Amino acid sequence: MTERFAAPTTLSEALGILAADRAARPIAGGTDLVVAARQGRKPLPESIVAIHRIAELDHQGVVDGALVVGGLTSHAWLAGSPDVSAGWTALADAASIVGSPATRSTGTIGGNLMNASPAAETTAPLVVLGGVVTLRAAGAGSRMLPVASLATGPGQTATTPAELLTTVTVPPTAPGSGSAYIRLEYRRAMEIAIVGAAALVTLDGDGRIAAARVALTSVAPTIVRAPEAEAALVGTAANAATFRAAGQAAAAAARPIDDVRASADYRRAMLVVVVARALAAATARARGESIPIPASRWAHGQEV
Amino acid sequence: MSPAAARAAPWIRGDGQAKATGQARYTADLAFPGLAHARLLLAGRAHARIVRLDTTRARALPGVLAVLTQDDVPKRRYGSFDLVLDRTLFARDRVRFEGEVVAAVAALTPELAAAAIAAIEVEYEDLPPILDVEIALESGSPLVHPEIDSYRHDPNLAPTGNVAGRSTIVKGDATVALAAAPVVIRERYVADMAHPVPIEPHTVTADWAGDRVTIYSSTQVPFAARAKTAEVLEIPEHRIRVVVTHLGGGFGGKCDFHFEGHVAALARAARRPVRLVLSRREEFIAPDKVTHAMVVDLETGLAEDGTILARKARVLLDCGAYASDTPTIGQVAAMMIAGPYRIADVDIEALSVYTNRTPSGSVRAPSGPQACWAVEQHHDVLAARVGLDPVAFRRKNLVHDGDEGPTRQRHEGDGAIDTLERAVERIAADGALGPNEAIGVASGWWFSAPGPSGAFVRIESDGSGRIVTGAQENGTGAVMALPILAAEELGMRPEEFAITYQDTDTGPYDGGSSGSQTTFNNGRAVVEAARDVKRQLLELAAVALEASVADLELRDGHASVVGSPDRRVSIAELATTAHSGALLLARGSGVPPEAPEHDASACVGRLGFESFASPTFFCHAVRIRLDPETGIVRVLKVVAATDVGRVLNRIGALGQLTGGVVMALGNATTEGTVYGADGRQRNASLLDYKLLTTADGPEIEAIFVEHPASNGGPRGSKGVGEPPIVPTAAAVANAIAIAAGVRVRRLPMTPERVWRAVTTGDDGATEVNAPFGPRAAAVEAAVAAAGPDRR
Repeated sequence: MTERFAAPTTLSEALGILAADRAARPIAGGTDLVVAARQGRKPLPESIVAIHRIAELDHQGVVDGALVVGGLTSHAWLAGSPDVSAGWTALADAASIVGSPATRSTGTIGGNLMNASPAAETTAPLVVLGGVVTLRAAGAGSRMLPVASLATGPGQTATTPAELLTTVTVPPTAPGSGSAYIRLEYRRAMEIAIVGAAALVTLDGDGRIAAARVALTSVAPTIVRAPEAEAALVGTAANAATFRAAGQAAAAAARPIDDVRASADYRRAMLVVVVARALAAATARARGESIPIPASRWAHGQEV
Repeated sequence: MSPAAARAAPWIRGDGQAKATGQARYTADLAFPGLAHARLLLAGRAHARIVRLDTTRARALPGVLAVLTQDDVPKRRYGSFDLVLDRTLFARDRVRFEGEVVAAVAALTPELAAAAIAAIEVEYEDLPPILDVEIALESGSPLVHPEIDSYRHDPNLAPTGNVAGRSTIVKGDATVALAAAPVVIRERYVADMAHPVPIEPHTVTADWAGDRVTIYSSTQVPFAARAKTAEVLEIPEHRIRVVVTHLGGGFGGKCDFHFEGHVAALARAARRPVRLVLSRREEFIAPDKVTHAMVVDLETGLAEDGTILARKARVLLDCGAYASDTPTIGQVAAMMIAGPYRIADVDIEALSVYTNRTPSGSVRAPSGPQACWAVEQHHDVLAARVGLDPVAFRRKNLVHDGDEGPTRQRHEGDGAIDTLERAVERIAADGALGPNEAIGVASGWWFSAPGPSGAFVRIESDGSGRIVTGAQENGTGAVMALPILAAEELGMRPEEFAITYQDTDTGPYDGGSSGSQTTFNNGRAVVEAARDVKRQLLELAAVALEASVADLELRDGHASVVGSPDRRVSIAELATTAHSGALLLARGSGVPPEAPEHDASACVGRLGFESFASPTFFCHAVRIRLDPETGIVRVLKVVAATDVGRVLNRIGALGQLTGGVVMALGNATTEGTVYGADGRQRNASLLDYKLLTTADGPEIEAIFVEHPASNGGPRGSKGVGEPPIVPTAAAVANAIAIAAGVRVRRLPMTPERVWRAVTTGDDGATEVNAPFGPRAAAVEAAVAAAGPDRR
């Protein structure tokens, strides 16, 4: 049962509590923590630091071409920002399909990353886009960590209990790039990824793939890059055959599990599909074609 | 406004504003001074002997007001509708499913109640769970109820072994007819368990005053809940009052008697009001009302021209750990497998089989969707074999007016054929199919449920009306629409009526919100009472207008002389007169329509469904798009044509139809309970038990066909609440088979199952997924573990 609760209004105050009280855990939107507690999966922490009133963590902007947002930035903001849609489209794809409208307005990007779920929607896009988080702790200044290195296992991160995620920074993509996030979804709302894939594709002047990054959701203890798929793509013509080959390379390297949501066989087969569809959507965007957000519905042949 | 116009007019239900604004108080919202909090100790394992049960530590905890086990309540077994008296309030010697109640506590706070539950010491000796209905039927299988031969039961049933009930629907000689049939097809279809999932979980508060208890319960059937509470606690029924404030959905899951007895006993022991609210996980595993898992084996003989000659079938219904009302539903399932088709010879057997799973029961149109899904796919397979398209096959075989049913009842009206034609016409109107798109159709029938029901109608001193009824509103609007019927009789407007309802102390008996029966039966009662009030009003008006009663009519809020509308007196004036003399009060009940004439002499296990009273006929036609790479099926449009006899309240009928279709689509594609080999549910949460959301709803076009029933409900109406959920999954299945080129014989037709069928041809019917596990090995292991005495 929670015995201590604080709702500081400044970052330094919050960091002070996290440093002094080793049991303290931050809560932003609470869409993971509270739901898990109510389902009996994980009790609420003994000590809670509610950070939702800290204005320093609630900022959004483009600085020197990079997207720089505070940890309290909501999925709804990311889904609705013209900047994010234009420059970091995969992140908009992901943010717009998180949970329900209520989840999207309450849930935050900082919380989504620090919850370290292998099914988190925003992580794979941030991995392919080269996102970096800033972590701060009282008396220790700040350090930066790539999103790709943040999670170490389900619910586990490479941070200390005293550290708070303050900022997410996403660099600009190279010219000729497009990105997309595709989730395999059984229903259109309140869904969790069976598998998912984010892709960033950069085309050269001839329309061939100059660079590609692929990250996979729900096929490993953390969200992982698929280097085999990326390597298979570079230098190839961007077409359905190469997308499928990349998907097969990703599936061959993935280690999905059997669980109540799907069998490992199905997940592996679906990985081929979502990787290929994410690459198709990202490539179309790289060519300047308009693919609606979220790309999932377009890619699965469903009306938007 | 004419009566017909009134029935079609948009109408604002009386409880609408309170519900939409959040003012409506549901059972868990009610506040009581000194309220204590209940919690149940559930078994948490599928099958075990209780070796030791010790509540000493729990009772000693501060703030714990009561701890109850079976030792604290009367020693008696009970059963749903007294079909099989196979259960007790608490498990004493043995637990038979994971949600079985072992003990209950009441404490000052929910946290203390949880601590008390944790302090109860139970030592179990686990027994191998019986999870597969076919294993349960093997001779030598361990028994879910070793003492079954000592149970009292309905005289039409003979429970034995792991079989709680057996019912057959038999006409002619199907064996002989099949032997002579030129085309015979045998198929197996398997449906998984599903859940009703009301948004409001089961909630009960009991509050004693002297020797009387008021039970606020989220029940769909207050009178049945009262009767069973009286029975199990051995209290006279008249000392129990069951009140439902507002009900947050039921879908059948809140039919029957659930936790009223436990909470009443707790409140008596705690000497305080006590409230129980189930958690969502508890709501999935504990209440004994889930949609039946079923195994359907079908064998049908055809003439070369596609005429159905004969059918044999066996339906295994997994009733779970307790019989509940499943034996009755088995008989319904057998009737559904026969369907509204002309078949000369039928021999259909339904077995209700015990397993160590959450007990099944009367979820919306129980057995209907699964049976229709199986038999309507079978019909498409039969049609293809003789080169007929699915519509032509149905046109040839569906019943017409005057045709004979499976027990020789005479069908009335051409509802079956008319709904087929209308649905097909409308689904085709959207033009050519796109890539991976297909259309599927399915027809079916469902019964109306005549039964006793009562209502009072009175006119207040201000001329407004009041209906006092025992009927239960579960959100469908059926009770809210009763004023439409009264107003039509009395020449008043529906909004001039108030309703007092769902309180067993004030309203006369009603069967509750079940069996699509509220309008059918309580509507009859309200009409009868209103007609009596009308007679009283006209008698008063005859004096006031110096006219003969025979020359008077009620319209526009007045009594007037027919043909001389200026000679009139308002109902309000008549009410004023009445309130200085004889009051305007009436009661109604009416005689329930009798079952149609039929011949069930060859049938066994007769529990009242050997004929279908005033059956509703329907056909759904759907258009789907299959994503063949993922197996995801998107339902684009559903045309739902239903012969409801007579539409009494169009907006209410549309609400039932729309909700039924969406619920059916979830059952068809995304829901389904997954069991582990340990006999525990693996997806008992709203994240992993995937209901469809509003965002997933297809375009739904409703068509109401009206062939009034001569022996039906008010104005020839038939039941409307359950039919819309029955044929949708079947129509989707038939569309999938066309789009995918392969049939899925496992329900739900999840994306993974569809994908597997597309990629490997596996239809899913033999899928290894407890409870339908690898049979031989499991039987062997279970028998070996059970030992020689089969315990």
